[in-house]
Amino acid sequence: MDLVEKARGGDPSAFHELVDRYAGSLFGLAVSLSGNAADAEDMLQETFTGAFRGLGAFEGRSSVKTWLTRILIRQRARHWRSTHRGKAATLSIEDAPDSSVATPSSHAATDARIDVTAAIKSLSPDHREVIALREMQGLSYDEIADILEIPRGTVESRLFRARRELQERLREYLV
Amino acid sequence: MNDCPHAQRLGAYHDSELSGEARAQIEQHLRQCPACAAELRRLGRLSELLSAAEATRISPAALRRLHQGLDAVPMSDLRRVAEVCGAIAASILLVCSIYLVKTQPALGPIPIWETVAVARQEPPTAAPEEQLGQWIVEDLSGKNGHDQN
Repeated sequence: MDLVEKARGGDPSAFHELVDRYAGSLFGLAVSLSGNAADAEDMLQETFTGAFRGLGAFEGRSSVKTWLTRILIRQRARHWRSTHRGKAATLSIEDAPDSSVATPSSHAATDARIDVTAAIKSLSPDHREVIALREMQGLSYDEIADILEIPRGTVESRLFRARRELQERLREYLV
Repeated sequence: MNDCPHAQRLGAYHDSELSGEARAQIEQHLRQCPACAAELRRLGRLSELLSAAEATRISPAALRRLHQGLDAVPMSDLRRVAEVCGAIAASILLVCSIYLVKTQPALGPIPIWETVAVARQEPPTAAPEEQLGQWIVEDLSGKNGHDQN
């Protein structure tokens, strides 16, 4: 919060320090949501630009991380609408990376990562969001509900369905 | 797949999101339901898999671009403000112009001396002497439009 106050007071180095502090984790989230680093970088740029312009409106009712994550989720929704206008909201499995094209590897962990990434990418946007926020960002249900502006019960039910889908796609790794 | 009605709360239990009483109920149920116990184990394994999935790190070059992009934000904002002000000024100018045109008072009758002064004169058809006489007569009788009060 101190950094936000300093940035609001016109200290540019304070905002840059905010960027350094949160860019890493937000970038990881952006990649999980968008599926590629280029789109993730665009989303991150728009997120911090929006945060810079909205410094005056930040009231401190949530943590800085939650506030930035909320902005990122909104940017992601805008990006999704502009790139998938007219298409079905759910990614088909064909859009996921084709793990069958990968060179057979003796590294089981690498295969698992590829399959896990493909499974996450195959989820619907709503399910991918809650999985990324819970499993990768470690946010609580209340924080997720706050960020996505949905009831806590909806967070729980989306997580339940998302995990059921992932269990089905990754069942060979879960026995 | 596990069809137990309590399965829907396993995720919240796994995430430590249940309150004391709800948590106790699930723990009691887990002791009696092998299907839910197995699914809870799968949820734990799933979380391990998701955590182990390679976290994509932002490259130093990407971070540098991010900072450079943010440094440009104040100038782009200034340009945007200038564009908006220009559009507002143009709109005000247009509205005022339309207002002035619509409210301009209608012109009254044009004084006859102005029309006579610029009126196109017909080429004289009569001889010059006759035309001169005719003018004199008109002038004396007041029919020429002059001296009218």
